[in-house]
Amino acid sequence: MTGPGDDPAVRIRVSEAVVARLAAHHALQVPGVLALQADLGRTLLAAAGSVFGSVARPAARAGTSATVADGRAVVAVIVVTRLGHNCRDLAQAVQQSTATAVASYTGLQVTVAVTVAEVILD
Amino acid sequence: MAVNPDSTGPIAPLRCGRDAALVWDRAEAGLAPDEHERDCPHCAAVFADAGRLNVIVHRMAAEPVEPPPSVLDRAMRAVRSEFRPSDVLVLASPYGPARLSRAAAAAVLRHAVDRMSGVRARSCRIEQDPGPAGCAVTITVSARYGLELASMTARVRQMVLAAAEQALGLPVLRVDIEVVDVFSEGAP
Repeated sequence: MTGPGDDPAVRIRVSEAVVARLAAHHALQVPGVLALQADLGRTLLAAAGSVFGSVARPAARAGTSATVADGRAVVAVIVVTRLGHNCRDLAQAVQQSTATAVASYTGLQVTVAVTVAEVILD
Repeated sequence: MAVNPDSTGPIAPLRCGRDAALVWDRAEAGLAPDEHERDCPHCAAVFADAGRLNVIVHRMAAEPVEPPPSVLDRAMRAVRSEFRPSDVLVLASPYGPARLSRAAAAAVLRHAVDRMSGVRARSCRIEQDPGPAGCAVTITVSARYGLELASMTARVRQMVLAAAEQALGLPVLRVDIEVVDVFSEGAP
């Protein structure tokens, strides 16, 4: 991706790991988000990492994944919430605040796909 | 030893003048140290190093790889919680795709109905047609013996509609209530 200025000498490439990490950080700040949940691939990777030594460091951004192409980022976030937070409103809040934060930090156009995986019942 | 002296420059010999690589090779081959090597501290050190590496390598090779017991558990939990498209409901959102686990939504509705007096929730199924329309909820309940069923089902219906809207943000078009059992007052 090209940087904010139109100077072609400066090119910024934002890696998917950065986007995913940022998204995870900001998604966790949304009130009502208790935790992020890793998907199958990442959980298996983490499990493998704990046996065979660190494969990557998946734990730090577990629960989010990102794909970046042509200045656009698509971030998938899987969240766990608690009964009492409206799931639709929570999903929208996560999408809005995560997309805004990641977009302003990276300059990418960000779409956030949210899945509410679990609602903790007290 | 596959070290090419040409590429790395001249290799400094041990202080005693012998090539460490040659001494190492002899040690690795299991040969006994010759007279010089027995007395020379440098060569003896190389012999000891070779022996040490040998021990480490063989010990590691002989060790069975034993995954910690938690691995299977964690993998299975991940497999169980992995979402297929059919396992999620679509939430309305102007900001992009938003989804809700079908099982989590059903658990919330069951929980809400379970808290009502005179009613116990059994199973709950939520069907969502593609498109922005609402969901159809099918819930089975058991009712307290003696409770008037018509008014009970009206209460359950209202509870499902309210819980789906307030807790989930999911519009419900239809609620089917099936009374599958009755229980008496003292029953747990």
